[in-house]
Amino acid sequence: MPLVLCHSPKGGVGTTFLSAHLAMGLVEMDGGDDASHNVDLLTLSPRDLTPLHFGLGPAQRLPPLAASADAAVVASGIGLFCEPEATRDSDFLPRLDDAGYLAVGSDRTLVIDVPSGHHMLARKLMPHVAVHVCPLTPLPDCLALLPQLLAEEGDWGPHRTAYVFGKLDETRRLARHVTAFAREVLGERLIARIRNDQAVPEALAMLQQLSRYAPASAALADARVAAQAVGAILAEERAKITAMIGEQPGAPIAQPGASRAA
Amino acid sequence: MRADARSLLDRLGRSDFVYKEFADRFSDLELWPLFEALLKDPRVFQQETVASAASDAVNDPVSMPGIAAARPAGTAPKAPTPPVLPSATESLADLFHRYEAESAATPQARSGQDVRAMLRRLSDLDERGEL
Repeated sequence: MPLVLCHSPKGGVGTTFLSAHLAMGLVEMDGGDDASHNVDLLTLSPRDLTPLHFGLGPAQRLPPLAASADAAVVASGIGLFCEPEATRDSDFLPRLDDAGYLAVGSDRTLVIDVPSGHHMLARKLMPHVAVHVCPLTPLPDCLALLPQLLAEEGDWGPHRTAYVFGKLDETRRLARHVTAFAREVLGERLIARIRNDQAVPEALAMLQQLSRYAPASAALADARVAAQAVGAILAEERAKITAMIGEQPGAPIAQPGASRAA
Repeated sequence: MRADARSLLDRLGRSDFVYKEFADRFSDLELWPLFEALLKDPRVFQQETVASAASDAVNDPVSMPGIAAARPAGTAPKAPTPPVLPSATESLADLFHRYEAESAATPQARSGQDVRAMLRRLSDLDERGEL
């Protein structure tokens, strides 16, 4: 299963919003068939706000991965899960494997929302992910983090880490300039810019999905661009895996990021 | 026209307004010192080198799905653009090489020129709608 890691070293940059809308966008790319459930979303946040982005109430609790089908929460064709103890669980990766989420060649996709404080867990996951999406905001403090982020990601980053600048207020000159500068430094690794949009908190307050509350939302349109970019990465990886299986039936297939893991 | 602008004009009932997005002329604006500091950071320089290597190797194995596949709409690979100005076609790597080679000469003047050259390039890209 292709894993999509959504993790930022900085909090408050819209990681939960982005991971939710990446999952929704990937479902839409699959045709939006609620019955297929080809996309799951797992949040590792102990203070989980993911249900709000799906129009669910704040009292809604998400089950762990191993929950029975009766306890499953499915919204917009996406299976929603929460593992708040994953950082302290040494069996977390084996459990992901047991659940089939680390199997190569599957059509199912798991989007993992890892909070900013769980940096070490994010690093453990990175060798297994197809793409790491790192949301940032177009502010000087995030921009100043870029050299550190680029140094930490090593040779692996350019192939698998994509950046998204969220909460962009285009009426602010500095925000526009920071985004343009980041575009120059990151190139095509900056896959999307998500504009600041009051419709996002309003949709949360209305307990409605953004696509229903404000279909013309600028942030929604931008988030779909990000999802399409991630979908293109996943499609390319699937095509390569399919080609390798065709060329070498029975041969072991490298896990995503295996070179880095080695 | 952007959806939010159209929505605002609809609410105002002003269908007779002419809508135009004005691009920033980066070269006309002040130079943010943070940008200059980041351009001098070797870790950012290494990133560009690695990114170049990544684009060369994008057709390689399964373990490299390639961010290149993730180009958002409107940013698909473009044909090489004609040079605008010699200074405007410099890559970041060129700029950093020049920082390293000539930093002993007139570092402040040189860095100012280089960053402004990059900002000019940003401005040109912006005018062409490629930013």
